[in-house]
Amino acid sequence: MTRFLRWPTAAAVAALTLIASLSAATRVTFTDTKLKNGLRVIISEDHTAPVISVVVTYNTGSRDERKGRTGFAHLFEHMMFKGSENVGPGEHFTQIFNNGGSMNGTTNQERTLYYETLPSNQLDLALFLEADRMASLDITTENLDNQRNAVQEERRLGVDNQPYGKTFEAIDELAYENPAYEHSVIGSMADLNAASVDDVKAFFKTYYAPNNAVLSIAGDVKSAECLAKVRKYFEKIPAQPAPAPVDVTEPVQTAERRKTLEDPLARLPRIDIAYHVPPALSPDDDGLTVLASVLGSGRSSRFYESIVRQQQLASSVGASSTSNRGPGLFRISGMLLAGKSVDDVEKAIYAEIEKVKAGPIADFEMDKARNNWKRSQVSSIASSLSRAIALGRYALFWNDPNLINTYADRIAAVKPADVRRVASRYLVPANRTVVITMPKAAGSGSEGGR
Amino acid sequence: MVAKRVIPTAAVAIVVAGGAIVSASRQGPPPPSPQASKAVVMKGKAPVSTELLKITLPRPAEVDLPNGVHLMVLEDHRTPQIVFQIEVPGAGGYFDPADMPGLASITATMMREGTTTKSTTQIAEQLERNAASVGAGAGLSSIDASVSGSSLTDNFDDTFALAADVLLNPTFPDEELQRYKQRIRTQLIAQRTQAGFLASEMFNRVLFGTHPASRVSLTAPVLDKVTRDMLVDFHKAHWVPDHAVIAMSGDITMAAARKAVEAKLAGWKKGTSAAPSADQPPQPGEARIHFVARPNSVQTNFLVGAQSLVRTSPDYDVLSVMNEVLGGGPTGRLFTILREEKGYTYGAYSGFSAFKVRGNWSANTQVRNDVTEAAFKDLMAQIARMRDEPVPDKELEAKKRGMIASFALSLESPQAMLNNYMIRHLYGLPADYWDKYPQRISAITQAQVQEAAKKYLDPPRLQIIAVGDPKLGEMFKKYGTVVTYDTEGKIVSGS
Repeated sequence: MTRFLRWPTAAAVAALTLIASLSAATRVTFTDTKLKNGLRVIISEDHTAPVISVVVTYNTGSRDERKGRTGFAHLFEHMMFKGSENVGPGEHFTQIFNNGGSMNGTTNQERTLYYETLPSNQLDLALFLEADRMASLDITTENLDNQRNAVQEERRLGVDNQPYGKTFEAIDELAYENPAYEHSVIGSMADLNAASVDDVKAFFKTYYAPNNAVLSIAGDVKSAECLAKVRKYFEKIPAQPAPAPVDVTEPVQTAERRKTLEDPLARLPRIDIAYHVPPALSPDDDGLTVLASVLGSGRSSRFYESIVRQQQLASSVGASSTSNRGPGLFRISGMLLAGKSVDDVEKAIYAEIEKVKAGPIADFEMDKARNNWKRSQVSSIASSLSRAIALGRYALFWNDPNLINTYADRIAAVKPADVRRVASRYLVPANRTVVITMPKAAGSGSEGGR
Repeated sequence: MVAKRVIPTAAVAIVVAGGAIVSASRQGPPPPSPQASKAVVMKGKAPVSTELLKITLPRPAEVDLPNGVHLMVLEDHRTPQIVFQIEVPGAGGYFDPADMPGLASITATMMREGTTTKSTTQIAEQLERNAASVGAGAGLSSIDASVSGSSLTDNFDDTFALAADVLLNPTFPDEELQRYKQRIRTQLIAQRTQAGFLASEMFNRVLFGTHPASRVSLTAPVLDKVTRDMLVDFHKAHWVPDHAVIAMSGDITMAAARKAVEAKLAGWKKGTSAAPSADQPPQPGEARIHFVARPNSVQTNFLVGAQSLVRTSPDYDVLSVMNEVLGGGPTGRLFTILREEKGYTYGAYSGFSAFKVRGNWSANTQVRNDVTEAAFKDLMAQIARMRDEPVPDKELEAKKRGMIASFALSLESPQAMLNNYMIRHLYGLPADYWDKYPQRISAITQAQVQEAAKKYLDPPRLQIIAVGDPKLGEMFKKYGTVVTYDTEGKIVSGS
């Protein structure tokens, strides 16, 4: 068992060297300013490539949606490309691409994010476009109908026309009782149809205010000059009353929940298991992050080695901890090999979980989680876009943009006992939701391939 | 400054300053893009910089080693990471035995499953403990196979040593081969549930016939037949250094890279193989509408296209510009019309590939069932418009400007830059190929773009693939000869 053997002194020296070399090369510096209208501005200067990224993270996502209006935050995101006072419909992305940039918008439960990456001489263009739509979105019935169609096609493409598309929705619907996290980001077709121009206008006024957003800029800029430009474009936009905080509290689950779905587009069974866990970056989250790595990350993980490779029951079994600011789910998902039993896979998953609770965790497993987060920290600052996204997220969610420099240290501080403790506390039967997806026979000749 | 040259267009956004410094001038602000559709309205008030961005392309250090390996290193010390790739021409799927399509791909994948000193589990543990990666792969129709990896600088020596071990000393354990076969058999079943897979499988089949370029997946019969001995033999015969390229980028110098290669790959001895060459695929038969009936579909997946060209073709840049106008992103005509104007789809794009053998050009979109016919007509109308009408000046200039300026973004990624240089080397392109990129794109004219559309999007060459609800099949008969298939690819009707 040489892989567990080590000389403590040599290892300690090596670890110190590694940390030192990382922090020297990869510490991110930034400025953090609040404008008069409440817009938080974070600027991280880096002149290694003639590129800038501008990111606006709005503090609104699908968890802010009310019943009957699911999918709204994301539908709204599409409206942000349909024009504002000084920008025509479609002009935003046309200007970005025609000047060599890239851009997009993305919505999840927690936030709605917009970005532009451009050659560094186009900083004004990006700031102007973002400020104009923050100040004065142009909301018309025609634009809304057009984007409603696009979003409904997005739903068909990603959910309704895909095997296991509905599985993802089923897990959250069964696991959560509070509507905040219960429904999907894409929303239901009926609710998308119900969204009105007045809904869009009210949503814009409530959530798309400077005091409800973080603007983060990274790359080839001079901080002071950049901040002056930001003030020029953004500071005149009026603040709005802060939106009421959304109630995300989730009642404690007291018994296992279970559902079996039939999926006409699937040909192989799949099992999904979700456990309620506390929010990301809460004290137990670090242990849960390492636990997800030990159980389900990569080919050295316990699920892969035992269930995929040794027992040959599944083609993949993965695990992930939560990234929610509110109550989260620790998710496990397994795709069965042809001809194997769901019951056997489920039992095998639980057996591995019990082994973590009771048994040792190898040094390599702890090193793996630690080094993986160090590597992600390094990778996330290599591009201006991922750097700006991380700064905006850490500032908006946890009021601490410096987590970009310190988060990996939190993971490095986790001990095997912490991993065992969180596994024993959260990965218990009464706290789990199990969704099994079975192929539904489609009738005709398509069964031939089984 | 070297000779000052005026580039013959208004729309040059960047100048490349490197081994060959060029200068450029532009006149006035960039043209707002024209309104190809009422869905896009340019108010033109946003401030666009007209200042030229001077960029310096970093250059890789390059050296030829005695065993035939060409080593390329692009230094970039911004972050303590190193990425490497060992590219081996002649070990890709193009060189599969005729009765064993997929053998190269299986061989490459299985190389990571055990070496003379390490089991598959030990390999996984070493890599994942260090947050490093090593993988081996070969395309089903590619000329090359490769071993690639990445790690933090501190783990580079161990990671490269492991990659070398995987390359030189794979043992292809039979036990792991059996496990691999079972996993892949499951994947073969699962992939048939994806409409996108069914579309690309059919597209490649009708475009390339029995040429290796037609392959998109392993097959069950080959999995049944393949043995450990076949893998050993294929590896021995094809994984030779004679024409290989090793490329490294990131926190490393040429001296350190060379030292690592000479130390860890000392046993990789030059063989006597000629530079690998490949035959072009025959042109497909007459264009048809190939309809794959997929029960329970709520969308129709379209894939329309033809064979394209080889990477070294003089038409390559022109086709790039033509493709950009038609479907190269959210500003392309397909997206603008099919999504932003009509609301038929979440996305509509086109793209193309080119290798030593001809690749393909294709347009794709996914639309809901009840607009399938209307969307199909618009899709084909936009392709026809590329042939029938010159692209308006302003639209063309805007596209070219965007393509050139976006080149600056690749400077953020040493890997992307090095990949460009690898392409230059592997295809024998001129040394200043990337320095001249802005000039070449700028110089492309309306007439060239229209000629390229006529040549590459010629209606008799355009194969049409549609995957969707069986009830929609009948409708397509109005538009051409329809061949209908089931989701296993068997012909149900037509020919």
